[in-house]
Amino acid sequence: MTRDVPAIHEIWVYLAGSPLLALILTLGAYQCGVMLYERANRHPLANPVAIAVLLVAATITIIDMPYAKYFEGAQFVHFLLGSATVALAVPIYKGLAVVRGRIVPLTAALLAGGTTSIVSAVVIARLLGADDAIIGGLYAKSVTAPIAMGIAERIHVSPTLTAVFAVTTGVLGAVLARYVLDLVGSRAWWQRGFALGVASHGIGVSRAFSVNPEAGTYASIAMGLHGVLGAVLIPLVVPHLRL
Amino acid sequence: MELTLIPGFVQILLFQGLGELVSHFLLPLMPGPVIGLVLLLAWLTVRKSVPATMDTVASALMQHLGLLFVPAAVGVVMYWPQLKADALAIALALLGSVVLTIAVSALVLKLLAKEHSSDA
Repeated sequence: MTRDVPAIHEIWVYLAGSPLLALILTLGAYQCGVMLYERANRHPLANPVAIAVLLVAATITIIDMPYAKYFEGAQFVHFLLGSATVALAVPIYKGLAVVRGRIVPLTAALLAGGTTSIVSAVVIARLLGADDAIIGGLYAKSVTAPIAMGIAERIHVSPTLTAVFAVTTGVLGAVLARYVLDLVGSRAWWQRGFALGVASHGIGVSRAFSVNPEAGTYASIAMGLHGVLGAVLIPLVVPHLRL
Repeated sequence: MELTLIPGFVQILLFQGLGELVSHFLLPLMPGPVIGLVLLLAWLTVRKSVPATMDTVASALMQHLGLLFVPAAVGVVMYWPQLKADALAIALALLGSVVLTIAVSALVLKLLAKEHSSDA
């Protein structure tokens, strides 16, 4: 038995040193998340992304793997966020024909929702005494993570913190949307999907597609438009808000 | 993976690369993927259809978009001490903000859709 110990140790060192471990961890955790989500009949509380993040965070803490080391391997998954952002053009293009007649309400909802998301988050955090670094991370949190991280760099706040807030926002929106939308009496799938896409970008889109295809299409349109508008407007407006 | 998926993925990567180039040299205000999105949208509009393989790749990416957020979100462990110190403020800010954003967007749509109710 004792002869096996160094061998296992060597394998461990090898695995921990290659991207393989981080990739297995990321994909395996997501697989667990999806399985639990399906088993829970796609209940919003069983959000697969939240489950995966908790599993990975717990695992790397237990095996004492620094985040930077984990990210080195997991960056291959992270990289695809950029491709997915570009690929958003496809659902937007397909939805465009339907959207044309609704351009006024959609644009108004996007501007109102986007403004609400920034102002409410910053005001609540300031009232409760959060420090400036934290507040900085809140500005772009409703924009899809790859774009949010780009915006964060431009307004000189932490991209990682912004990404963490963006994903948390995405998960919270996906979990709570059903209840909030029922509460305000929103019924049409396109309206429900769009509102979810404005508030919680990619994770909201995943959730919307798993509930209804029309909601998913509108959620992805909302996410894409919010990303494009946010990338232009947030760096222009935020420096003035900070006076 | 079937070989038929490759052309679609290559096209998406090309637009992503083009977006990065434009962002780097011409429009540093906009993140590369956003420019890639806009360029691809323009190309699809001119082409008037989505290539079948690109459609397959794009819908696969959309369906598992959540997975792609996991590595960045795990960064939560790095900021844990800072987050813990301001936990209540952050939790309430994120929660309040997302609820209000969904509610405001949905209400604006509901109100304006009634005025524009040409299509039910």
